[in-house]
Amino acid sequence: MDLQVIGSQLLVGLSRAMILFIVSAGLSFVLGVLRVPNVFHGSLYMIGAFAAFTIATGLGSNAAGLWLALLAAPLAGAVVGLVVERALLSRLYEREHLMLILFTWGIMLILNDVVKLIWGADYRSVLAPPILRGAAHILGAAVPRYNLFLLLVGPLVAVGMWAFTHKTRLGRMARAAAVDREMVGVLGIDVSRILAAAFLVGSYLAGLGGALVAPTTSITLGMDHTIIIEAFLIVTIGGLGNLWGALVGALLFGVTQSLGLLIWPQFAIVFPYAATVLVLLVRPTGLLRSVW
Amino acid sequence: MGKGWVALLMGVTVTLAAGMFLSPSSVAQVPTLGRNVKVGIVDTYSGPPAVFSNDALNGFKLALGEINRDGVLGARIEFVTRDERFSPEIGLSMARELILQERVDLLVGTINSATALAISALAREQKIPFIVWISKSEAITGAQGHRYVFSTTENTAMAGKALAEYFARKPFLRFWIGAEDYEYGHAITNSFWRFMKRAKPEATLAGQTWWRTGEPDLVPYLTSIMAGRPEAAFFGTGGAGMANVLRTMLTVGFAERVPSAIHTAIDFTALRPLGLNVPEGVTGTTDYLWYYPETPANQAFVRAFQAAYGTPPGFPAFHGYNTAYFIAEAIRKARSLDREKIIDALEGLRIRSPVGEVEMRACDHQVIYPIIAGVTKKNLQLNAIVAANPVILRGADVMPTCEDVARARRR
Repeated sequence: MDLQVIGSQLLVGLSRAMILFIVSAGLSFVLGVLRVPNVFHGSLYMIGAFAAFTIATGLGSNAAGLWLALLAAPLAGAVVGLVVERALLSRLYEREHLMLILFTWGIMLILNDVVKLIWGADYRSVLAPPILRGAAHILGAAVPRYNLFLLLVGPLVAVGMWAFTHKTRLGRMARAAAVDREMVGVLGIDVSRILAAAFLVGSYLAGLGGALVAPTTSITLGMDHTIIIEAFLIVTIGGLGNLWGALVGALLFGVTQSLGLLIWPQFAIVFPYAATVLVLLVRPTGLLRSVW
Repeated sequence: MGKGWVALLMGVTVTLAAGMFLSPSSVAQVPTLGRNVKVGIVDTYSGPPAVFSNDALNGFKLALGEINRDGVLGARIEFVTRDERFSPEIGLSMARELILQERVDLLVGTINSATALAISALAREQKIPFIVWISKSEAITGAQGHRYVFSTTENTAMAGKALAEYFARKPFLRFWIGAEDYEYGHAITNSFWRFMKRAKPEATLAGQTWWRTGEPDLVPYLTSIMAGRPEAAFFGTGGAGMANVLRTMLTVGFAERVPSAIHTAIDFTALRPLGLNVPEGVTGTTDYLWYYPETPANQAFVRAFQAAYGTPPGFPAFHGYNTAYFIAEAIRKARSLDREKIIDALEGLRIRSPVGEVEMRACDHQVIYPIIAGVTKKNLQLNAIVAANPVILRGADVMPTCEDVARARRR
């Protein structure tokens, strides 16, 4: 097969992996710090996408509006996440995981209806900023410019999250709370505020994933279901709560899907799932160390 | 008694007898239904398909407003509706509830072909008429058709044949199929390719790419299809999935490199949310366009729909509107709410639709609609994507024959 084709398909797969990584990193962070398997994480992603639509169209879909949509829409996911965490979830942290899964599942169903009430049932569409439209030619192969942009954003988010968790006081406290919540409390730190901040960061990443995916797809009700399944698989194969594990898992998922399309297009749908099964057979706790 | 008296008495008798049939008071003699007609609608009102289901319901409601002004044999048509959330299991239980609890006279639905087939089996078991108004799997009135199921929408056999015959006029031989892995995706793909091979036996399939319903990112799928360098591509997908294909085509410059065909690619309902962000030159088919043909009946329908709902009607609204008139006319003809009599009345029934007279074919209970083919083009005046150079293909020409249907049902 043509090397150019493989190269461009690899780039496209890597860029898809970046969206998956950003959403999964948020889920993984919440899992690691709060021990909450947050099923409505996908809803925050969907809210980020719909908010991007509202901001972009509200500002006339001009270049500035589209950039602002990418920057501001994630805040919608963050705010909704924070409100739910403060009002409801914070009362349930001591409950068992099954209870938390069912609770966050219920919130997902409610948020789906809230989104329907606000934005209606129509699917929506947002354009990328003009500079990111069309395809760039790399070694003779056409790759959408927007996908190249995603290839820049993904590593920036990875580095940013690493810097936040290792170089900031809040991040270090969040890591400490992930290891021993009681000990952090004994030291006189307001653990509740740390957990809220961690949930805010995780929700922001979900919203960011939604805002970034908006120019590449139809924004629809139900887009939360698809992403949440993939995100849970990715954090599981990467190692629960491990940021770099989320990156490795997302890369594995995106690249096997993309290259699988060149190998066996009729059944490419199974490649990422087959890779997941294989990883879990070999390393049931995930590729990198789980923080659970 | 003289002859004059006899003649006079006979004259009076004949006049009275004729009067019984012709005078206004004779209307009261027509057997009335005694109660209102109750229609149970099961459809998807959550998620992306709701765009289509709401449009169909609006068309249905518009027609009921017109029909109930004078009523049907002294009765009104009422409806109750349920959201099946795109799940055949939920749809089936809701249909059962509508039959057993709500005691509806007829069932109508749904956009989900799998649900339509499940409810169809229930309708057969419960002996209740079921009219399918959006879902297009040819199995509904084809292989799995029966006495109790009807369709007021075009089906994949008609759409696939129309699109194949129209697209076969172009000089492409090496095709690629890209499709969504669900009932409609398989049905429309099979139909298109079957008729393409019939129209152009030398056509070959370079490859097939399938993706799951709701796949958010189609860039790797379309770039891999382009890498296969086909001469043309057919996409077996509808609704939001089709909108996603069109968007992604624009992103990767697909349409300029690979001529493509998609059923409903020129459909107003599917294109509306995309605005002008649709590639030009994609071949599409549909059974209804609000702006074509520009007949007085269609224009009147569009005006009424726009006044009621603030937007032009899409194909589901057209189907919903026709469904209501089929029900009303069948009950008028049957003069009864007896289910078997309604079915007998529906068979071969002709109604006046916004695009002219349409018939419910008796042999398979499939409505006969003309199919419109054309290519996508920006229309800045309408600020929408429209069908350029539309061509109308006669309904009877693109339908499977009654013998084909009988054969499929025997299999």
